[in-house]
Amino acid sequence: MTMWSRLRSWLRVLLQRSRVEKEMDAELRFHIEAFAEDLVRSGVPRKEALRRARIEFGGIERAKEECREARGISFVDGLLQDLRFGLRMLHKSPGFTATAVLALALGIGANTTVFTVFDAVALRPRAVKDPDRLVGVYRTAEGKDRRAFSYPDYIYYRDHTTTLSDLAMWSGGTNVTTPDLSVANKENVPRVPGALGFQLPQFLKVGVQRLTCVFVSGNYFQLLGARPAAGRLFLPEDDQSGAPPVVVLSGNFWQSQLHSNPGVVGSVIHLDRVAFTIVGVTPVDYLGTLSRVPVLWAPIAARPPLGDATRESLENRNVPAGIVYGHLKAGIALPDAQEELKVLAEQLRPGYPDIERNNGVRVISERTFGSIDSELWPAVAATMGAVTLLLLIACANVASLLLARAATRRREIGVRLSLGAGRRRLLQQLLIESTLIALLAGAVGLPFAWWTLHLLVVEIASGVPSYWGAIALQVTPDIRIFGYTLLISLLTGVAFGLTPALQALRVDVNSALKDSGSMLGQRLSKSRLHDLLIVVQVAACLVLLINSTLLLRGSQRALRIDTGFDSKQVVHLKMLPMVGDSQARLSDLNRQLIEEIGSLPGVTAVTQASRAPISGGNRFAPVWPATEEPPVSDAGEDKRPAAGYSYVLPNYFETLGIAIVRGRSFTVQEAEAEAPVVIISEATARRFWPGQDPIGKRLVIGSVKGPAPNPGETAPFSPSSEVIGVVRDVRSLFLNRVDQLYLYLPLSQARQWASTLLVRTSERASSLLLTLGSVVRRVDPNLPVVLAPLDWMVSADPYFVISRIGGILSSIVGTLGLFLACLGVYGMVGYSVVERTHEIGIRTALGAQRQQVLRLVLRESAQPMLFGTVIGIAVSAAIARLISAILFGLNPMDAISFAGVSLLLIAVALFAGWLPARRAMRVDPMVALRYE
Amino acid sequence: MDKQMELLQGTLDMLILKAVSLGPLHGYGILLRIQQISKDRLEIQQGSLYPALYRLEHQGWIASEWGESENKRKAKYYRLTAAGRRKLQTEAEKWNRMADLIEGILGTTAEEV
Repeated sequence: MTMWSRLRSWLRVLLQRSRVEKEMDAELRFHIEAFAEDLVRSGVPRKEALRRARIEFGGIERAKEECREARGISFVDGLLQDLRFGLRMLHKSPGFTATAVLALALGIGANTTVFTVFDAVALRPRAVKDPDRLVGVYRTAEGKDRRAFSYPDYIYYRDHTTTLSDLAMWSGGTNVTTPDLSVANKENVPRVPGALGFQLPQFLKVGVQRLTCVFVSGNYFQLLGARPAAGRLFLPEDDQSGAPPVVVLSGNFWQSQLHSNPGVVGSVIHLDRVAFTIVGVTPVDYLGTLSRVPVLWAPIAARPPLGDATRESLENRNVPAGIVYGHLKAGIALPDAQEELKVLAEQLRPGYPDIERNNGVRVISERTFGSIDSELWPAVAATMGAVTLLLLIACANVASLLLARAATRRREIGVRLSLGAGRRRLLQQLLIESTLIALLAGAVGLPFAWWTLHLLVVEIASGVPSYWGAIALQVTPDIRIFGYTLLISLLTGVAFGLTPALQALRVDVNSALKDSGSMLGQRLSKSRLHDLLIVVQVAACLVLLINSTLLLRGSQRALRIDTGFDSKQVVHLKMLPMVGDSQARLSDLNRQLIEEIGSLPGVTAVTQASRAPISGGNRFAPVWPATEEPPVSDAGEDKRPAAGYSYVLPNYFETLGIAIVRGRSFTVQEAEAEAPVVIISEATARRFWPGQDPIGKRLVIGSVKGPAPNPGETAPFSPSSEVIGVVRDVRSLFLNRVDQLYLYLPLSQARQWASTLLVRTSERASSLLLTLGSVVRRVDPNLPVVLAPLDWMVSADPYFVISRIGGILSSIVGTLGLFLACLGVYGMVGYSVVERTHEIGIRTALGAQRQQVLRLVLRESAQPMLFGTVIGIAVSAAIARLISAILFGLNPMDAISFAGVSLLLIAVALFAGWLPARRAMRVDPMVALRYE
Repeated sequence: MDKQMELLQGTLDMLILKAVSLGPLHGYGILLRIQQISKDRLEIQQGSLYPALYRLEHQGWIASEWGESENKRKAKYYRLTAAGRRKLQTEAEKWNRMADLIEGILGTTAEEV
């Protein structure tokens, strides 16, 4: 209550200041007059009475001042006064203010951006019913604790659990095609990433659009408490085998492609030639437990008809089917559920002893969008580290500015102290100044963060091809993030305002007034802190710049890397067959396409393969020379090395310009007959038969029970294949290294589950795209095809993407850091020159040359700069070793990155110091000496 | 004991609270009331009265409002708040305990030690 009354009275003071003053006057006047009247009543003449009353009362003004103080008026007054004074001081030196505010704003903005993204990913609760009680259930196996359950296991847990109210399954997704929706085929080209020299590969798509479809159990939406935007969502009945096929559309797709037409609900859509009824639409940006909004949701029962699984694989306890989510019942804690599910796992074990997935169960809270995957952590940590470094640079920068300023204000503070200003009040005033800077920076930094977030997330998300699904990360800054920004800015202001303020207060009044203290004697202790700040700025900046240069040079190298095949003049044409298509039809289509394309002008060769190099779809099979005993581990496991493989037509090598080093390519007869012959890479030959002629040697390829990656696809198996040729090494699996082991197998008409055509042209590959598109449409207008020049595929390589994005981000941050560090050096040298004008004047008067003066001023900043450079190089070298995998063979100690960037930094920093140092050279000794 | 005594440090607040506890008063009235109760034996610096009043009001122990004085003039009247009443009670108790203690100490004779 007294708290409240105090606040109220302060507010009254603030808002009704003049009224409070008037009332105080009136009250005191009443007192004196009433007193005087009493005196008059006792016989004192009126005039004399008033005089006596005033004397008795004592000093009226003093009483008033005491009253003001008693009511906290003077505190508020002082605060307002300091605030006004602070604003005036900031206004008086706009250069200092702008620099400090800008520097802090950059640091704060960048940190807010990263924090917001982190918050959206890892901290914000999912938009589902009772996110606190949502748990993920994973099966554990030796050394792996987050694995999917098989479908029968999931059913068992679902039907027997008593601690969880329900268990739902989400089982990944697939791409489906439909001829029913004429989907706008336009892809947004993201402006910003494009401007930065990087864009996601844009493919020309012909025929029908591919849509992402995820599969969920019938109770999934009920469990998450989702409400439809139209129609209804799934019910458990929808997920029975034999139930009429149904599908739910995402609100995003419904809105953007179907103009929110409610008539869509109830209509039939053909997905891969199976008729589905659209029963409803999810709300816009509805994610469920996913990270990206899919286009379609289908029940798990729809997986076999859509070719994502077979009925047998769904019934197989050996085949992982999906991630399981549950809702803890009220009053049940997570460990209880964990215990119960462990018991259920024990029950399953005796029935299926040979299945490792019964090893254990793990229950994890799924409250937030995602615990960040272990493989993402380095990137997350690197980004956070980079922006933290930037904030560090900004803070060091502002601190050195404040420090320099405090030095020049020593005299002012000395005067105020000697006139009787309280030290507390002075400290308050200095702190208010730095807090003002921080608040201004926060105010600038927040919109800056908003803008970068928009740029980063919205622009990049808009550039993601629509068939990947929409990114729906909620990244609008909320009140908590605003608080975070404010807190950082205030902490920075207080922390870095306090040091110089305290230092300034340690002023000895006498020496400050004489202004000689700052000349020579006191330089030492102050400049040590100053030097440290420069060291920090330079080192942090150098770390960012060197690593960004390494990454950019690495990714630049990736673009020019010799892949071993000719990608410039080859177009990659990939058919995306529908499941309903028969082998015979696919075979027909291929033959027709090869024929039509082969007769086009400018086309010099057409070939077909199960995959094109550097285009994903990597396949591996165990391989070993047939004449040797295969290596086996103690536990009896197959320890043969895995070789990448692809099925190719005889003219594959010629079309891609891969030289045949020894032997020959396949014959057409060998291809058709699926003859047991194989062509191997040079590296494979060296590995198995070093120093020998591999032609005629024999290989065992694959095993009888190899896994089938796709429905309809069979894994290779050959007990004895004859090596008929050796071809040059290429990079076909990963861009960052030459394939270690690679086999080429003959492609026959019977293997048509995945078909890629490679078309060689005598012109530029990109000029052929449209012509090829029209050929495809002529052959089959409904055939979904993706077309791109083969060298575009390089920019889709994940290592390339990581190093390019990493390089761009860190070079942006590094450039900002460089800018800030230069401001720091500029400010420091500038203030030092101002401060030493007198000394420089004396030196010049005593005969010092201009060059000597320049050297004197610059030497001071050069030392910490060099020291910072050494530290920066050492830290960068450590980091470079960690990122060497994504440098595409660039030496992690690359001289250009290290020496070049360091020299550049030193040069830029010296230039920043030279600008103000010139002033020192121009100091007129007479003026300087009269400065006192 | 005709000579006026100076106020002990820190007791003015208590006296003001006591004075207004008997009924709302303006500043001058409080001064008169204290002098009257003390039979003019206490000397109060008039100038120090108002800072004390402002402090007490700031702390919420007394509240003020403008009213009319006996001779029909506008005057600011102070009255005790509920918090002020509690404060007065604890202050009075504290004072009494202290007075007892001091009296006991001062009344101690050589035999009692």
